[in-house]
Parts: sequence; C-alpha cells; structure tokens
Amino acid sequence: MKKNKVYSIEQQQARWGFLFTVPCLIFFAVFSFYPIIYAFQTSFTDRQVLSRNYDYVGLENYVYIFTKNNGGFPLSNSIRATLIFTIGTFIPMIIMSLIIATFLMQLRRDKYRGFFQLMYYMPAVLSSVVAAAIWMIIFDPRGLMNQVSNFIMRSSGVDYNWLVDPVMLQVSTIIIYFWKYIGYFVILFITGLAAIPSTIYEAATVDGSSRWHTFWKITLPLLKPTTAMVSIMAMLQCLKTFSTQFMLYQGGSPRAPIDVITMNIYFTGIRNGRLGRASAMSLVLFVIMLVFTYLQLVANRSSEDVEY
Amino acid sequence: MRKALSVLLVLLMAFSVFAGGAGESNDEIVIEFWTHEDATRQALEDQYIAEFEEMHPNVTINATRQASSRLVELVQTAFAAGEGPTVFNLTNDAVYSFVSTGNVAPMDYEAAGYADAAAVEDAYIDGMLEAVTYDGEVYGLPLELNNWCIFINKQVFRDAGLDPETDYPKTWEEMVEVSEKLVIRDGDILVRRGYDFRYPYYLETIVPMVEQLGGKLISDDGTEAIIGEDAWIKVLTFMQQWGPNGLNLGSPTYTNARSLFNRNNNDIAMCTTGLYQEARIRSENPEFYESGDWMVVPYPVFEDAVADVSACHYGQYYMVNANEDPETIAMAWEFIAFMLSHGEDYLTKVNLIQPTKELMNSDTYKNMPYSDVFTYDLGRAHVLYYGPHANEIQSLLRTAIEGVMLQGVTPEDAYTQLKTSVQELIDEDA
Repeated sequence: MKKNKVYSIEQQQARWGFLFTVPCLIFFAVFSFYPIIYAFQTSFTDRQVLSRNYDYVGLENYVYIFTKNNGGFPLSNSIRATLIFTIGTFIPMIIMSLIIATFLMQLRRDKYRGFFQLMYYMPAVLSSVVAAAIWMIIFDPRGLMNQVSNFIMRSSGVDYNWLVDPVMLQVSTIIIYFWKYIGYFVILFITGLAAIPSTIYEAATVDGSSRWHTFWKITLPLLKPTTAMVSIMAMLQCLKTFSTQFMLYQGGSPRAPIDVITMNIYFTGIRNGRLGRASAMSLVLFVIMLVFTYLQLVANRSSEDVEY
Repeated sequence: MRKALSVLLVLLMAFSVFAGGAGESNDEIVIEFWTHEDATRQALEDQYIAEFEEMHPNVTINATRQASSRLVELVQTAFAAGEGPTVFNLTNDAVYSFVSTGNVAPMDYEAAGYADAAAVEDAYIDGMLEAVTYDGEVYGLPLELNNWCIFINKQVFRDAGLDPETDYPKTWEEMVEVSEKLVIRDGDILVRRGYDFRYPYYLETIVPMVEQLGGKLISDDGTEAIIGEDAWIKVLTFMQQWGPNGLNLGSPTYTNARSLFNRNNNDIAMCTTGLYQEARIRSENPEFYESGDWMVVPYPVFEDAVADVSACHYGQYYMVNANEDPETIAMAWEFIAFMLSHGEDYLTKVNLIQPTKELMNSDTYKNMPYSDVFTYDLGRAHVLYYGPHANEIQSLLRTAIEGVMLQGVTPEDAYTQLKTSVQELIDEDA
C-alpha cells in the first residue's frame, strides 16, 4: 500500500516560497539568463547585425578585442575609462549619500525631511538623456559652469574646457552622474537608518555618548548591511554607465576619454554592426562586474552578523 | 432551383470582385513606414498617407518617425531581430549594407509606374541613383537630394564692416580671414563665430576639402585608403588651426552653427547647410526669412586647389523590406511612387528636392531662392561615399579631426592613425 509522503511545516513553507519565486525566475531566465547565454554564443561567431549567415570563429573576437586597436578605440582604453568613472563616482557617492542621509535623519520635523528627500531624489526621476542635455547647456563654453569657474578662480573669459579636455570631460561625466543618482542612494540609506531601533540611541545617550561617537560606534556598524548593498548597487550601476557619456559624445565631446565599455559595445555592435565582437566585449564587462561584486561581498561578509 | 442557386453564386462572385476594385485584392496589407523626423514634412506626408489609404481601403500605413541620427540604428536593430519596417528611408552611406545582405527588395517597376530600371534612371538626373543601383537593379528612390553650400547672415557681415556681396569667402584661406573679422570673443570663449563647420559630417564636408588638394578617401580600385599624405596633413592642420588650440574660430562643442543661424541672434555669421534650411528659417523665424538679410554662396576651395570639388551630395532613399510578401512589396512601391509623385509640393512646402529631371528643370525649382547656387555646387559635387564600412570611416574621420582640434594630436599622427585604421577596414573585404 502506497503511503502519502508527509511534509514538515518548514518544507511546506519552502514549497510555497518556491512557487512564489517561480514567476521571477522565469522572468529572469527569459530576459537576463537567455541573453547572457546568447551573447556568450554570439561572442564566438563573426555575426554582423544585418547578415543572416555567420560562422563560428572560436576565440578570434576575444583575441581581437584584447590585442587590436578596434578602429582607434581599444577595449583596454574602455576598461580604463570605466574604472576611472566607477571609482571616481561610486566612492564619493556612497560617502556623500551617507552624510546627507544622516543629516536628514537629524531633522526633527518630518515635512522638512520629506522636502529635502524629494529635492535630492528628483534628478533620479529624470531620464539620463534629459539630465545630460541639461548639463550640456551648463557645460557649454558660454554656459553657467564657465561663469561660475571664472567667478571662483577670479579669472575672466577662461574656457575651462568642461566638454573638451580629457580630464575635465571625465570630471563632467562624474558630476552629472553624481547629481543624478545621489538622491536614490540617500533614500536607501535613510531606510537603513530608520531601521535602527531608537532604544539603542537612547541607551547611548544615557551612557553619555556624544553624537560623533554614536555615529562611529553605533550607526555605522549597524548600517553595514545597507552600506554593503548600496555600494554593490552603486558600483554595478557605475560599471554599466552609458547614456551620460553617449550624450556628451553626441554633443561634440571627444570619445576616447569617456569611451566606457558599454559605449564601445554600442558602437561596435550597433553602429558598426559587429555583433560578435560586441558580444565578446559584453562578456568581458560581465566578468568584471562579477569579480568586483564577489570582492565586495567578501569584504562585507561580516555585515550579515548585525543583529539588533 | 439549382439554376437559381448558380446565378446567385455567380452574382456573389462578381460582387466580391468589383467590391474590391478592379484587379485589387481584399487582403489586408499593413505597411510599417519608418522615416526621420521633419516637422515641416510630416504634415505633408500624413496627408499623402490618408489619401493613399482612401484609394486603397485594404491598406493601413503606420508611420513611425525618429531622429535621423537614430533611424539607421533602429532600422538595423529591427532587421537583426527579423522585425524590419516595410518602408523606410536612409542616407546613401547606409544603403550598401542593406542591399549587400539581401534585406531590401529591388524596385517593383510596374507597381511604381515605370517600365524598367532604365526608365527609372531616365527620370532622374545623372548619378542620383548611383548609390542604390546594384547589378542593374534599382533598390531605392530618393525622398530628397541634399548638397550643402554656405549660408551667410548679411547683417552680421555689415556689422563687422564687410560687404557680404563682395567679401564673402571664396577660398578656405579667405574663410579664416573673414572669420577673424567676424568673430567676437570673451577671453577664450566665442561669443560670435564667423563660420563653423558641420560637425561631425566629415565624409560630406572634409573629404571634398582633401580632394581639392589632390587627396582621396579610397583609391579607385578600392585597395588603398587615405591617399595623398600632403593633402590630408594640410587639411588636418587647417582644422587644428581652426579649433580652440589654434586660432580658436570654432569647435564641435559649441551649439551647431545651422541651428543658431535661423535665430539671427548675432552669434553666427555663416554655416554649411542645404536648400531645406530655407524652409526651416521660414518656419522658425519668418521675419528673418522675409528680411532678405541672408544669402547662399558656393562651397569654398583652397587657393592651391587642384580640383574644384564642393561638399558631397547625398540622398535619403526610400527602400522596401525584402522579407515582406510580394503583394506587400508591390503595394509598398506603389505607396512610395505615390508620395514621390508630389515633387513640386515637397519643393515648395518643405524645400526638399526630389532630383527628377522634370523637377530640376521646372520653373518652380529655378525660382527658389539661391537654387542656382545649389545647382552650381551640385555640378562640382560627387556622391557621398557609400561603400562598405561608411559608418566606421565617418567615425574614424571624427577621431582624426577632433583629435587634432581638441586633444592636441599632431596632424601627422592623426593621419597615420587614420590611414592604418581605414586600411584595416578595407583589407577585411579584400
């Protein structure tokens, strides 16, 4: 006689949990996993965007992108541009968003806090294209940035080449990105700060801890899981940056200083129609993102131990 | 009873045939029509679409409009996904890749109202179908022909103490001299430019400058790239001197000259653009258009030029997706021919030239302001480079020219890099 299998409550819950995640898994498989596999396969072909036929060329695309000039825009330059942008953007962004979030949490009246949150978050709602267009007007040689720079530097009629000079151009992309996304990360930090029980702060106050001491000894350690999440998100977002650099290039800026990997992928695959090479580049970006995420997870491993 | 039934069936069949119009199928045909944005042209074409749909009740035309710079990418991506539009238009530098990969259909001459390819060739002025003719078949019809001349704001010239009618630049050396007189600077910052180039359309504007000096983009047999070291280096040096690190007369990072020109705000005196600009001035600034304070002059040459070459002419060509069924392809060509049968309207209402012999010889064209200048320059121009890798070569030219203008690259280094990169591209096809 066949016996009905008995499941524990935990197993039953796990089964329901799995069922709830199935739609998400399907969505991920179709829209993320399949394209990754497809890009992996395409990276071994000489596929061109309009051509119906293609051949497998082994590692030829990988050899090409690591050894050839790629029409004056080698992948090595793109990796350099991406790393400079990522490091130059995400570290200051994490620090500043934490400082602003802490400042906003100090505001006693909710309506002020709400107002500032809205102000900081507003640029994140704008599309990157609109944001870049606004900043291109500001960075125009006759625009606000040169006027402000001349005022601060007590100079007159100096063009600081915000959109031309390789260093200034990279700084410009960092400023635009910083302005656009800092509000988003401020909100995430505020959420993390709000989750810290007020009783801990009350106990610290009773024990005579100063605000500075409380921040370093209580807030920051308890915020570690949020910091880990925010820093991984910010880093991945920075590694995938595209539209800011693309808009500046469309506006007449030179490409090489800001030719981040995604932009090189776009030009190689879409403009020049070389899908095989572009896929190989996207796989390289994927690996870079994977490695950096792993390193961050290792660095933040102890963050999971936080308990209130 | 059986006889009555037979009569009824015959009547029903006859009714079904005549209801759809003589010889016309009742099958629904959907034409996805993708074209570039042009506010002045849109109203005209929407009217033609409505008229065509009325003539063919079984046809639905869905028009999608995108910025011209994005259209080629969107069309390419759509074709890569097997979802290309039925009818679309692209410039001749993009045509080759679509024809060579079999993605566009040769013309259905009958549907478009022509006897054969020779009849189509005969209807257009010489060389206009060169970029879309392969193996004796025509693959596209020109929505517009463009060649670029120099537009001049006469008032700005007069403000600088110049007589626009006599002092306008005939050579590139004079262009520098005149621009020096017209330019207003606040320190390094250009408040008013005399002239500025049409960045980053270097295949159209800079390659002819090289050709004036005896250089070439690609050799006639297609095996060698960037020919004529002296010519290329002279042009690259000219551009270096034009930019912010030289005489500081212009730069790609300023607002493009042709957009500023229409506003007549005393911030640009000259720009490079086509006849279509006249419609845009009329639409954006009718007061300036009517003032007569603007004029058009031919594209300059170098003083020591060995060839009289003006800016390249190029076309926007309507093409049809080869992956559609034959009935849709025929209807698409009929639709294209219907729209292009309104050449005079395109010319008078939106200043677009459809280069048929009939239109180019008409009084309507001859009476357009400065059409004689455009015709003169058309005679000195050749078609824009349309071979394989045209897009990549355009991008490489940008790297070279903007490298010397903005990034301190020497003309010699830029030339070497350009030659190597373009040669690498054409060697791929060898």
